[in-house]
Amino acid sequence: MPPSFRVLDDIAIADIAFEAIGNSPSELCLAAAQALIETLADPRTVTNTWHQTIELENETLAEILFAWLSELVYWKDADGVVFSRASASVHSEASGLWRLHGELVGEAIDSTRQHLRADVKAVTKHLYDVRQDDRQWKATVVLDI
Amino acid sequence: MKLNTDMMVHRISDQIWEIPTTEKDGMRVPARLYATESILSDMDRGVFEQITNVACLPGIRRYALCMPDGHWGYGFPIGGVAAFDPRDGIISPGGVGYDVNCGMRLMRTDLTLSDVRPRLESLMTELFRKVPAGVGARGSVRLNRRDFDDVMKKGARWCVERGYGWTEDLERIEERGCIAGADPSKVSDRAVERGHNQLGTLGSGNHYLEVQVVLNDRIFDLVTAAALGIHGHDQIVVMVHCGSRGFGHQVASDYLQSFEKAMRRHGITVKDPQLACAPFRSPEGQDYFSAMNCAANNAFANRQVITHHIRESFATVFESSAEELGMHLIYDVAHNIAKVERYREGDLVVHRKGSTRAFGPGRVELPELYQQTGQPVICGGSMETGSYLLVGTERAMDETFGSTMHGSGRTMSRAQAKKTIRGEQVRKQMEQRGIVVKTASLSGLAEEAGLAYKNISDVVETCDLAGITKKVAELRPIGNIKG
Repeated sequence: MPPSFRVLDDIAIADIAFEAIGNSPSELCLAAAQALIETLADPRTVTNTWHQTIELENETLAEILFAWLSELVYWKDADGVVFSRASASVHSEASGLWRLHGELVGEAIDSTRQHLRADVKAVTKHLYDVRQDDRQWKATVVLDI
Repeated sequence: MKLNTDMMVHRISDQIWEIPTTEKDGMRVPARLYATESILSDMDRGVFEQITNVACLPGIRRYALCMPDGHWGYGFPIGGVAAFDPRDGIISPGGVGYDVNCGMRLMRTDLTLSDVRPRLESLMTELFRKVPAGVGARGSVRLNRRDFDDVMKKGARWCVERGYGWTEDLERIEERGCIAGADPSKVSDRAVERGHNQLGTLGSGNHYLEVQVVLNDRIFDLVTAAALGIHGHDQIVVMVHCGSRGFGHQVASDYLQSFEKAMRRHGITVKDPQLACAPFRSPEGQDYFSAMNCAANNAFANRQVITHHIRESFATVFESSAEELGMHLIYDVAHNIAKVERYREGDLVVHRKGSTRAFGPGRVELPELYQQTGQPVICGGSMETGSYLLVGTERAMDETFGSTMHGSGRTMSRAQAKKTIRGEQVRKQMEQRGIVVKTASLSGLAEEAGLAYKNISDVVETCDLAGITKKVAELRPIGNIKG
């Protein structure tokens, strides 16, 4: 099963919640980023003129996924962009540290061409959960809208 | 009565319900919910869990309170109010929310529906052009870092000094639009980078700019209405709902993260990670308070710049100055904030998350203009149904730390709303009712459809009957800009 996500209807009344699923930590980070990207705008309406490389390290997969999603929210406002796609590679080191190398691709916000959706204020820790389940990696994330 | 909780809930009066401290380990005070029987039975399970979690926080005084628009939030429920003793109590970003000083602003005009209706389409187009809305919208005010620091410290006062508003506006804003104790050195660079281009923008979610009409038969208190500048006769008013945008969101995120470590240092445990907090008088608590005040001032400035652009738009479309059109501010009030306020116990750190300050007559914080009436309270409904202007009461000072509801409160998730109705359908329904809609996102319009919210009148009526606010006038939408 490829990395995927599904919107969770009833666990965040005022906001948006999703479950991301991947066969590896990298796929999990990719699936969760895709969920956030699609919350902001329809990525099919966004071109690839803006690029950003992201390097992160953290003590747990849960923390690094949280930081990775928070990067998308940050760049959305700081550079005024929405995203067409993302890539992510995550691994844990012998020291126990997790490292993420990611790429964000998108373009400056243009409401005349892009199909914009909801502005995400923040990634929250409300019901936030990252787990390994039947050899799949899963995360529950609530975005503040 | 069937409730969405197994906890014992006692009736105190027809509008007040209490959950005793025996219902959850660690509760330091009872929780009180303001609701009619019908509203209480519709409240989601999260409200009961979250308000009793709040009741467990160190230093809480009297009650953890939830207003009738209460619904599931992060840490605190939306509609939550709690006051903490600064000597042994905490401050929590979860009690303020991500959108620091999200709030409401209401402006009057001398225009009537018959003046505006023929030019409504042009007016809404001009407003939509002047007031950027939607994902990542950027404002027209260009700020360097020094300017942005000044906005953090001076709030709406910075705007008036730069020509974005009138001097008289300031006394009609909570805290006169400038909260003392804002320290830009406590704000991260990332917060500044997220916010420096966004002054004068609405944002998205449930934020909006609305042109409304005051119908003659919907004024409930003629004397108070007149004192607030409302005479009815199909009078046009303008309402704005927005906050501190990406800047405030980042301040909240930064401190929620750092407070997880601060709690370990101070030996504090909480029932929910979104209730991360620090002792108010600790260095961490004071740093957050200073940073939050920066974000609060930024939000006052944001609504002030928007006000300036609203006045410009009206002046353009009606070919008269904003002064000639009588575009005076009625009030601007925060509904996501923590403040030190004085009550019978002394100074308390009052957290309002989706709750409006509702100070009664005679409070020293109110301007002379509103000493007799009490503070204007602006309560926004869904974009389809209408909103209310009210005033605070002495009873609110006694019972709810001078607080009341802030809006209708959601009953349906965003995802469910989009499955139930399409944005285009919402727009058509609103247009059939004579409401012109301009939106940056049709899916966002569906998420904010009236069917996703409680009945605003039921919520307002509950607070009126409970005596914590007094209804002044109902405001019906005729034009809406939705981010």
